[in-house]
Amino acid sequence: MIDTDQATSKVTPLGAARRLSPPSPHVAADARYWSEQMAAVASRRDRDGFMRIYDHFAPRLQRYLLGLGVAQASAEELVQEAMLRVWRRADLFDPARASLATWLFRIARNLYIDTIRSEPNWMPVQDGLEWLDSEAASDPASDAEAFVDHAGLKQAIDELPAAQARLIRMSYFEAKAHREIAAELNMPLGTVKSSLRRAFGKLQAGMRRTR
Amino acid sequence: MRPLHHPDEATLVSYSAGALPTAFAVLVSAHLGICRHCREQLLDADRTGGMLMQQREPAPLSAGARDRMLARLGETRPDPPPLHRVPVVADPDCLPAPLQPYFGATYGDLRWRMIAPGVHRILADGVTGGTLMLLRIAPGRRVPMHGHAANELTLVLQGAYDDALGHFAPGDVADLDDEIEHQPVTAPGVPCICAAATDAPLRFSGRFARLLQPLIRF
Repeated sequence: MIDTDQATSKVTPLGAARRLSPPSPHVAADARYWSEQMAAVASRRDRDGFMRIYDHFAPRLQRYLLGLGVAQASAEELVQEAMLRVWRRADLFDPARASLATWLFRIARNLYIDTIRSEPNWMPVQDGLEWLDSEAASDPASDAEAFVDHAGLKQAIDELPAAQARLIRMSYFEAKAHREIAAELNMPLGTVKSSLRRAFGKLQAGMRRTR
Repeated sequence: MRPLHHPDEATLVSYSAGALPTAFAVLVSAHLGICRHCREQLLDADRTGGMLMQQREPAPLSAGARDRMLARLGETRPDPPPLHRVPVVADPDCLPAPLQPYFGATYGDLRWRMIAPGVHRILADGVTGGTLMLLRIAPGRRVPMHGHAANELTLVLQGAYDDALGHFAPGDVADLDDEIEHQPVTAPGVPCICAAATDAPLRFSGRFARLLQPLIRF
């Protein structure tokens, strides 16, 4: 209930501005295209479909990992490991819960974390499926992929104010902690957190905008 | 259990980005295990990560990478071990799964150290990103007003406390930073057991320990 109220209050003030620029429908079509490739991989071990996924996503995962400071060769190994998980666990991919890009991001992020955490007690987080709540059918799945507007998310990212976009980039592209960001930008910790919170609110509103 | 107090969205974004120091990531994992609301929030943050990843300019892979990938598709190797899932009805003596590697499986086996009258603590070993600890505060105890110089995340495991932000019961998270000052009071009845993560140096480690600092010989 709280979620709905928050979502509504975030949508309203931003809705007017958003109508000014046209949506980009190809983004949603992309998500559907990749889900179809995954379905072919899962149902008949379609190597061509898998390699189409590889050709598109592997170089982007490589860029993501290089950006996080992973060395070229290690990054390639992680990319291959991530793609291999997609191949081996394709039957677990559920397009109703998440897009392939989201799933791949989780897998690559988790592999990255397992690589940098050398602490002996760190419990490896595996393949990113652990929080997908696929069994929780009782709820009318407010987080279902069908309700996600990818074009709206893309647009919301593009429209973030420069200062907020910077904090989002420092988080996702450089894996900088709040404290590191605060030190680097000479900003109070609380301001870093409230700016990230506001930015995320805008991105969520973009994801949930009505078509 | 349906928590009423959650980590800041900024904390979940950082978790999604792989940017949260270990001590915080462990606590957030423990909360996620029991909080569907935050799992949905995290999924939105991961959607953001997926979109950002997909929008990036591709980086060239080395010449033989594609062939090596193809060659591995026929590989047969045992599946990785099954995912660790938190049971729906957990044994009340069991710690949340993400905390177990650091503190052991059960409350009964915890080896508390008294750091002040009514206050016990266990510090986790081998955490390089931040400080992770368990705290046990006697019931009905008032902690004087104080602020924070750093991020501090607290997850209530047993018992409860109250402060200006509300009533914090098991599963609830207090996500505090340098702009918040408060005065927690533990609820009467049973001791309040919390897991806490902080990114401050240990000798200034958080609201309970900081208060008690004069009493503790570090």
